Amino acid sequence: MKKEISNGQVFETSREKDLLSHLISTSQKYKLWIAFLLLIILFGMFAYYRQVKYGLIVTAMRDFTSWGIYISNFVFLVAISLVGSLFSSILKLNNNVWAKPLIRVSEFIAVAAIICASVIIIIDMGRPDRFFYVITHFRIQSPIIWDVIIISTYLVISVLLLYISILPDIALCRDRLTEIPNWKKKFYRIMAINWVNHPKQVAILKKVSKILAVAVLPVAFAIHTVTSWLFATTWRPGWDSTNLGPYFVSGAFMAGAAVIVIAMYFIRNQLKLKSYITESHFNNMGKLLVLLSLVYLYFNINEYLGPAFKMVGVEGEHITELFAGKYSFLYWFVQLGGLVLPIILLLFRKMRNPVPLLIISFFVILGAWVKRFLIVIPSLQHPYLPIQDVEESYLHYIPTWEEWAITLASFASLLLIVTILIKLFPVLPVQEDEKLVINTDINPLIIKNES
Amino acid sequence: MSSKKINCDSRRNFLKNISTGSLLAVSGLSLLSCKDPSEEKTTLLTTDGKLVQVSKSEIEEMEHLHQGAPPEEARKGIPGKKFVMVLDLSRCKNARKCVEACDTHHNLTPDRPYIKVLKMKDNEKSSPYWMPKPCFHCDNPPCVKVCPVGATFKRSDGIVLVDNERCIGCRFCMAACPYSARVFNWKAPPEGKLDLPYSPETSLPSKIGTVAKCDFCPDMIRNGDLPHCVPACPNGVIYFGNELDDTVTNGEETVRLSTLLKEKAGYRYMEDLGTKPRLYYLPPVDRMFPFEETNQESQL
Amino acid sequence: MKVNRYLYPALKIFLLMGLIFGNIPLAFGQDAKEDAKIAVSFSEENDIKTITAIAVDKTGEPIEELELYFYVKRTFSLLPVGDPFNSTDENGMLEVVFPNDLPGDDAKGNVTIVVKIKESDLYNDLSLESTKNWGIPISLDPLKEKRSLWASSANAPISLITGVSIMIFGIWYIIFYIFFKLYKISKIRT
Repeated sequence: MKKEISNGQVFETSREKDLLSHLISTSQKYKLWIAFLLLIILFGMFAYYRQVKYGLIVTAMRDFTSWGIYISNFVFLVAISLVGSLFSSILKLNNNVWAKPLIRVSEFIAVAAIICASVIIIIDMGRPDRFFYVITHFRIQSPIIWDVIIISTYLVISVLLLYISILPDIALCRDRLTEIPNWKKKFYRIMAINWVNHPKQVAILKKVSKILAVAVLPVAFAIHTVTSWLFATTWRPGWDSTNLGPYFVSGAFMAGAAVIVIAMYFIRNQLKLKSYITESHFNNMGKLLVLLSLVYLYFNINEYLGPAFKMVGVEGEHITELFAGKYSFLYWFVQLGGLVLPIILLLFRKMRNPVPLLIISFFVILGAWVKRFLIVIPSLQHPYLPIQDVEESYLHYIPTWEEWAITLASFASLLLIVTILIKLFPVLPVQEDEKLVINTDINPLIIKNES
Repeated sequence: MSSKKINCDSRRNFLKNISTGSLLAVSGLSLLSCKDPSEEKTTLLTTDGKLVQVSKSEIEEMEHLHQGAPPEEARKGIPGKKFVMVLDLSRCKNARKCVEACDTHHNLTPDRPYIKVLKMKDNEKSSPYWMPKPCFHCDNPPCVKVCPVGATFKRSDGIVLVDNERCIGCRFCMAACPYSARVFNWKAPPEGKLDLPYSPETSLPSKIGTVAKCDFCPDMIRNGDLPHCVPACPNGVIYFGNELDDTVTNGEETVRLSTLLKEKAGYRYMEDLGTKPRLYYLPPVDRMFPFEETNQESQL
Repeated sequence: MKVNRYLYPALKIFLLMGLIFGNIPLAFGQDAKEDAKIAVSFSEENDIKTITAIAVDKTGEPIEELELYFYVKRTFSLLPVGDPFNSTDENGMLEVVFPNDLPGDDAKGNVTIVVKIKESDLYNDLSLESTKNWGIPISLDPLKEKRSLWASSANAPISLITGVSIMIFGIWYIIFYIFFKLYKISKIRT
């Protein structure tokens, strides 16, 4: 059945219409959203201009708290980027069919997050003009160099994974979309690399897809483990832990799952895809979130029980500050409100409906961001040697407006990249070669591709 | 008769005047021998090759007495030497002259001292003591291991330096150092008075967005002089020397390193961290001064 | 009156003489101390190294009870050798034992031994240096940097270089293979 929409674009199926119409029309809401994000980014750029002009003194970082929310934000963004491998690799290889439609969204988020992470780390550098020294003068012994290598590798693999999953749909856009500007037509044509659904092409794509699904998993684990080694290779209380690698990776998957829930909700509502992203998807994501949170809870307990039992020197002071001192409110908010409570609540079916799950995911994400803050900053405030005879500003770390502006700009950039990707490419697979089985308590819509 | 008398008188007067005159002359001469220094001039060669005469009172001691090796050369150590420092905690009175000398010669602001003097108290029952802490120039240096671009490096003579023309300001070395030895130029450092070419051995001129730390003053060492903190200490706390010839000196006393460490039970701070510091402490026993809390210099 | 007339000039003359002659000892004060000569000899017997110094004054007579200071030249200063205070005996002789375990200045084990007369009331300051290979030989060759985690990038541990290279090569081989396959896809024509 041919479907038409107002400006003359013709679609062959209702599925195509549902998933491709927003590629053609630009709503007012969309423009406002983009404008809002650009405004935040501009504000962040002004803050960065001030930082370049006056130096890092505009931040609240000083000689003892020499790493601040730029680094904790970097860890957070790298954590979020792991969600791509969660869907493209773990769930896919595990034959979790319900998760297949969400692969593309997860890759959008993964690519955007890893790009923003790279930018924020350059912003944290004291001499960004010398950034290329990490390539020309690199020292292979340094964990930062390992991080640079693995982040670039993961970026390339994530882009490849994204591309592999949308290649057939790019070809569809090239073939089907007529009411788009010429540059966009050319763009689709080039990006589709002569894809014509030829059996040989399909076979190659399937093989490549399988290889990547396996290859991305060690890279994903490596990227966050190497990031954890930026901390675990130092002598700082809270960092000097053998548990840091698994702790970071499990936290990353949990945070990523929560981000997917939020993305799912807004895409579903804004693009009117209620019949494609169904309540059953939310149900399953809720269950997945419980599983990942339980794993993270396990590593959390391991991370804190040992040091708390022993209370050795500055490690003991650090633990006291987290449990009962200056950071206790934030710490228990994160552990209880962002971890334990979501686990308990999500065990109930009613809580896995879209709106409750969205709210719980917000708290999980907020908890995840604050947790990275609590990992980076308090440890720096308890060095082995006492802090004496320093200015007031050296004793506290309360981020300045420039740091907040830049951090918010990094989130806005992430959302901007995801938004643009959603605008360019269909967010769910339009062409499929498998049936999509959905629970019968919601409107089923099964479309088979006729090619 | 009167003319004769006048002649006799005038001769007498003449003799009187001569003797007074010569008395004055000799005393004047001896006074002149202690000349007024402000009047004394000395000849100097300026940096652009001109000879000038300057009165001595106008001459100011230079910020830095020697020029260090350029960055490429600075990566090689002085052959046949392995420098070591010993700090005698039984003599430290928190006079902070070491901090002053170091700050002056490295053009530092008081918030970024290379050498910090800390009040330490090992446990509740023992008495507090002052512990000066420069960089330990470890033999297993955590900071050098983590630097992504090799801006900080360990030389064959044991000294760890920072090349602030290569530093990218990532501050990983600051996170890695367990002894909080490094400082960072969060804002532009003050302009130096001298226009010296950059050398990692002098750590001058310092640059914004880079890391800095105690450098054991290799520019002084190359010329056979001790680092600035060593002679500055009024109590002879800081000993410096070459481990390979087993001798350290604090400017006045010279002793064998092995004897000093054996007799006074020299130790390294937090030895079990495994960083192998090149700086030894002599425990604060048989103290020269009682511990005093208040000290004007300790207030910023 | 007669007395007054001669008193003041006399006083002036005496003052003048006093000034002139009083300064002479100051001006020539150094020369009130004598020059001493020291003969230094070294002997080694049964693994005990001894420095012998004989002090004679300018007439050739041995000097008794003269304090001599023995040092070894080190990197920044002079290291004292022997007892803190050594005095010559009635023959003007002084023996000091040199330690067996002192590192030398170079590969031959050379050390520079300095004998000094300092702050003596009767004799001028004197410093004698001689080189002897009584030190333990040390190597002055600039040490080649060993492979370690804190060395420069060229001297990283072999295991680290091989491990990282294998991993990078492995994953990027797969990536390039995939790019190649995509290229193949673009070349397929119906």
